[in-house]
Amino acid sequence: MKSLFNAPGANMPNRFILFLVATVISFSLSLISLHAQESLTPEQLKFFETKIRPVLTQQCYSCHSNDGQGVRGGLIADSREGLLSGGESGPAIVPEKLEESLLWNAINYQDFRMPPKKQLSREIIEDFRQWILMGAPDPRVADVTNLPSRLTASDIEKGKDFWSFKPPVLPATPTVQNANWPKTGIDRFVLSELERQQIEPSDDTDAYTFVRRLYFDLIGLPPSVAQVQAFVQSWSDDREQAIGREVDRLLKKSQYGERWGRHWLDVARYAESSGKEVDMAFPHAWRYRDYVIDSFNADKPYDRFVTEQIAGDLLPAKSDQQWTQNLIATGFLALGPKTLAEQNPRQFQADLVDEQIDTTTRVILGVSVACARCHDHKFDPILQTDYYALAGIFENTVTYFGAVASQRVRRASDLLVLPVADLSPFDKAIPTTELTQLKVDLQQKRQELFEARRAQRQGDSGVKGKSSTTARPANVGLLELQIGQLVNRINSVDERGQPLSFCMGVQSIDRLRNARVLVRGEINQPAQEIPRGMVSVIGPSDIQILDKSSGRLELARWLTSRDNPLTARVMVNRIWQHMFGAAIVRESDNFGASGPGATNQKLLDYLAVRFMDSGWSVKNLIREIAMSRVYRQSSKHREDLFLQDPENFFFARGNSRRLESEAIRDAMLAAAGQLDLDRPRASSIATIGQSIIGPGGVALTGRLATETPAMKGPPTKFNRAKSLPFGGQRQLNRPTSVTEIASKNRSVYLPISRNSVPRSLEVFDFAEPSMVIGERETSNTSAQALYVLNNPFVIEQSDAMAQRISRQAASTSDQIRAAFMIAYGRAATPAEQAASNEFIRRASSPAPARSSGVRSTDPRSSSALSQFCQALMASAEFRFVN
Amino acid sequence: MTSNVNPMSRREVLLSASAGFGYLAFAGLSTANSEKLNAADSTARTTNPLVAKDSHFPARAKRVIFLCMQGGPSHVDTFDYKPKLGQDAGRGGKYGSKLMASPWKFSQRGKNGLWISELFSEVAKHADDLCLIRSMHCDQPAHPRAMTQMHTGNAQFVRPSLGAWTLYGLGTENDSLPGFISMNPPPGGAQNFGSAFLPAIYQGTTVGRNAPRGPLARILPTSQQQLPDIANPRLSDQSQRRQLDFIQTLNKQKLARDQHHPGVEGVIESFELAFRMQDAIPELMDVSKETADTLAMYGIGQGDSDSFGRQCLLARRFAEAGVRFIEITHGNWDHHNRLKAQLPQTCSEVDQPISGLLADLKRRDMLKDTLVIWGGEFGRSPDAPNGDGRDHNHKGYTIWMAGGGVKGGLSYGQTDDYGYEAVVDKCHIHDWHATVLHLLGLDHQRLTYRYAGRDFRLTDVHGNVVKQIIV
Repeated sequence: MKSLFNAPGANMPNRFILFLVATVISFSLSLISLHAQESLTPEQLKFFETKIRPVLTQQCYSCHSNDGQGVRGGLIADSREGLLSGGESGPAIVPEKLEESLLWNAINYQDFRMPPKKQLSREIIEDFRQWILMGAPDPRVADVTNLPSRLTASDIEKGKDFWSFKPPVLPATPTVQNANWPKTGIDRFVLSELERQQIEPSDDTDAYTFVRRLYFDLIGLPPSVAQVQAFVQSWSDDREQAIGREVDRLLKKSQYGERWGRHWLDVARYAESSGKEVDMAFPHAWRYRDYVIDSFNADKPYDRFVTEQIAGDLLPAKSDQQWTQNLIATGFLALGPKTLAEQNPRQFQADLVDEQIDTTTRVILGVSVACARCHDHKFDPILQTDYYALAGIFENTVTYFGAVASQRVRRASDLLVLPVADLSPFDKAIPTTELTQLKVDLQQKRQELFEARRAQRQGDSGVKGKSSTTARPANVGLLELQIGQLVNRINSVDERGQPLSFCMGVQSIDRLRNARVLVRGEINQPAQEIPRGMVSVIGPSDIQILDKSSGRLELARWLTSRDNPLTARVMVNRIWQHMFGAAIVRESDNFGASGPGATNQKLLDYLAVRFMDSGWSVKNLIREIAMSRVYRQSSKHREDLFLQDPENFFFARGNSRRLESEAIRDAMLAAAGQLDLDRPRASSIATIGQSIIGPGGVALTGRLATETPAMKGPPTKFNRAKSLPFGGQRQLNRPTSVTEIASKNRSVYLPISRNSVPRSLEVFDFAEPSMVIGERETSNTSAQALYVLNNPFVIEQSDAMAQRISRQAASTSDQIRAAFMIAYGRAATPAEQAASNEFIRRASSPAPARSSGVRSTDPRSSSALSQFCQALMASAEFRFVN
Repeated sequence: MTSNVNPMSRREVLLSASAGFGYLAFAGLSTANSEKLNAADSTARTTNPLVAKDSHFPARAKRVIFLCMQGGPSHVDTFDYKPKLGQDAGRGGKYGSKLMASPWKFSQRGKNGLWISELFSEVAKHADDLCLIRSMHCDQPAHPRAMTQMHTGNAQFVRPSLGAWTLYGLGTENDSLPGFISMNPPPGGAQNFGSAFLPAIYQGTTVGRNAPRGPLARILPTSQQQLPDIANPRLSDQSQRRQLDFIQTLNKQKLARDQHHPGVEGVIESFELAFRMQDAIPELMDVSKETADTLAMYGIGQGDSDSFGRQCLLARRFAEAGVRFIEITHGNWDHHNRLKAQLPQTCSEVDQPISGLLADLKRRDMLKDTLVIWGGEFGRSPDAPNGDGRDHNHKGYTIWMAGGGVKGGLSYGQTDDYGYEAVVDKCHIHDWHATVLHLLGLDHQRLTYRYAGRDFRLTDVHGNVVKQIIV
């Protein structure tokens, strides 16, 4: 029996990925395949019924059955399968092998001690020895049912005729009556549909509106005053050229990837913590965030981008750098929300796989296959067996998300070590002497834990006369936590104390197997085995999974095949949606039969085929859309359109849109002249390691450990007071939030804890980080109004903007002009100018009003100017683009 | 998509509304003509989503006060009288440990003689208003997931909470206040007041945070947290009103330029609501004007019951002001050890306040349409694995409800002789959800929201309304 806590192995080949055993508990992958039930002899049956079953029933079921008080340690003792697949520590029974059977270990009170209260009698233990040696005959086998499908092969064939399950073909370019209007292929497809509906397209919008729209859409930031003025000039010279040049310029900026990467992070349910009941930090998740941003900036072909995220670990890599990127990409599969408090590892594993299937299929294919976990899909011809074909692929995958075990965290996990050191400022070396001491401390804590556990088992009488000082049961939780943190810290460096770089991601396992259908999706009701494979109704159908392959690379190949009818369509639809504020298939994650379908399928297919033909280039597609006349249309209200197409299904006008939370915050910083465009290294969540994030974004475990006198030795990275790059001095005596931080970086770099999303993001409908969000809400709530009226961050930016404009202009009137250009990218109307003047005058002083144009030196007037700037930032126009 | 309704009518209403906030005016108008207008203008969804809506059928309860007892209160020591447990104490229980008799006396209370433990002697005075559901069961044996299931119906996925569904279904009656308030939500329980895929506007507004326990208490302040950004750090009301008027001038000029813009209308209205909230919330949370008699009723100023008493009083004030769904969480019910000492302590923290709340609601004639719910995520085992403590028990436990159209003085359902499992008239958490929605006039099968191509509901594909407990 291996020790529960292993320090890293002695030899660490640095070219290879190491699976750190930072965990108390390792995954239980029920690797034991279930043999068909051999028939038992009458003697075996009698032996079991008289000697084994009564003991299991009386001694084990209460804690180890689905009917009892939970499934402790993930072990179910009330079925043959349960004993064979075992719990979190491994199989309870390996037929004929005493030493490998943990049940034998436990009843002999070796590493485990079961039953905990009193050891079984010698006779009973002897019975179990015989029983295991005879092969553990056990009649408690549920009949392996063959769960039939409601759908037939012909249903599947018929299903393939559904529009979105047929691969897109390039439609013939339509002829249009108004031949002068179109500039691009997109325009012809849109106009053709408009003419069919007898709808006129809208006029081009004006240069001011256009440039603001373009900047927000492409880079998520407002144009500066100078950029607006330059664009307006070149627009009046040559509209096409002006747009083309501006688009090219913007697509080259790194802010482009930050904008479009964030769109992807929305669907990838990106976050830096586990969420759910125990919000465990994912301190290395930011690597995936940066990977996504860099991929968009590099215009990585989308098929490659998808492949890396599904199977990056299986791709050949030309260099360690590339390998590193490929591994980080698989964080896509590891980042999901997790119920770390789940006691049953098998349930946890099933839910993990389910989340991976659900996210992968909805994000990339725009259909939900996860519906078929419990039954055939209700609307689409997707079989329950399809689900388990995919589940087999993911079950042959180990997910490394990184979590330290404790009483609250029952499901621990390791991380992947990167082949190339890519250290963040929070990865610190440990002097070898300290490292040695830490290992000594660890041994000591383990010993203490062992004793504390024993004391706990002996109940209240545990303390009597014993010399042990740690024998109080309450210490167990704390010890587990401290041990977890020690292991975590020791594992953060190599043998020489040099820091290692980690990422979240996946790896395939060696012992491959197929999944079994679960009746109603319940883990204790397995039915027939299903060969690993893809969804039958979605092509291409000729992708085979070899016996020696987990199938994940094949899955990626299937997803990114040109013959896959959905992948390109779903992505171009998402891109269109972000450019127009509304998609062609309005429910962008639902291309199935229950979805709304495409408002203009030819347009969609045209885009999809062009997208694939261009080598899956996202930038190409964005450029083509930005150059179209459709994109250039005014969003102005039109009575005729309001009647004919109120939802703007056919894109006969622009859509006025509320900005996303990131864009609103970034625009405030930009208007204030405070925005820092540099990428911060890592994330503030990286500073706390694998800690639990409590209310208000305060890291809990590190602080708990520091406050306990039992914790000896020099300060750890968890408790060392230091100034953080995100502002603010971390003080030991006051809890510091790692989520509400003073940052002037772009909002995409704000820390995303699932349970403590920064207020500046959350208040403006940030994408719920536990779900696949293809389209964000745009609500108008009183909380938003309170935020822009009263929040210190907004007031700070107002002050900064006021200072900025008072440096730029002397008179109030000029200051007002400057402020409108900065905030709205246009000149103030005479009415606005007058109202602003009046407001500043009245806010400046209760004393007799000064005439405008007088230089304001009174501090009260600077506060009036700040109030004025705040009003502009708070107003509707600041957060809408037309 | 086409319609013969003149679309100008709406715009005219907006622009001519003397209040200037066309969106409100339209919201009123839309109740009368909603179908026709919706047909012409599907942007009607951007009208105030919190406007009070008609229920599916006449409601018994207009609002809910949910007293959530986190940790799993022992049913066999409080509201589920098990004489056989007393007789067989010391014998082996279902899972090996010895059965433990309840150390507390039960007696029959009220006209119908409901058996209630002496631990709730004050609540028991309202026995004729209580409807005990003694056959509750859920699927989750551990706290966090059971809490999640109790609140959202689903422990696996992030789903909208009961309060969010209620607000989505009914809207709110006070446009100066949030429609769903959660007091002292426990850490890590964001889902329990979250809106998940429902629009964010339906999520609970949290007031205060649960006082942390153990070592955490030393590092986390227990201050009564107000609503975020509820007050301006610099400006007087008057100055802020002036600033707000200026903002609204800008907004209205934009609206006039854009001619039609539900989003801008929404912004305009959100500012007015925020400004009203700034006024209303601090006043509502100031209980200094309540009489000494009222404070005493709630156990305020009486040591152990002071904190929960204040929360109950706030709940009544919120309810009175028109908040649709109010939840208060009270922790520390997880009595694995020292049950004999700890359970009376925990009960004493809530007994008087709950009794006061019921009396106060009754006195104000509000109990008839306020549904008061008491219960935890599960109950506790009849046996005592640690000698003086009970384990979790999710297969049988008690939740009680009062007011809001439930039958008072009723005991519904039964557990087995000892209290391990619900055996008669079993009420799963889905059934309970269906029943609560039903009392609010909502059909749990019709209260749906489309997400990812599917119509989701609180009860998923389950749930039966327990008609027998409804008046």
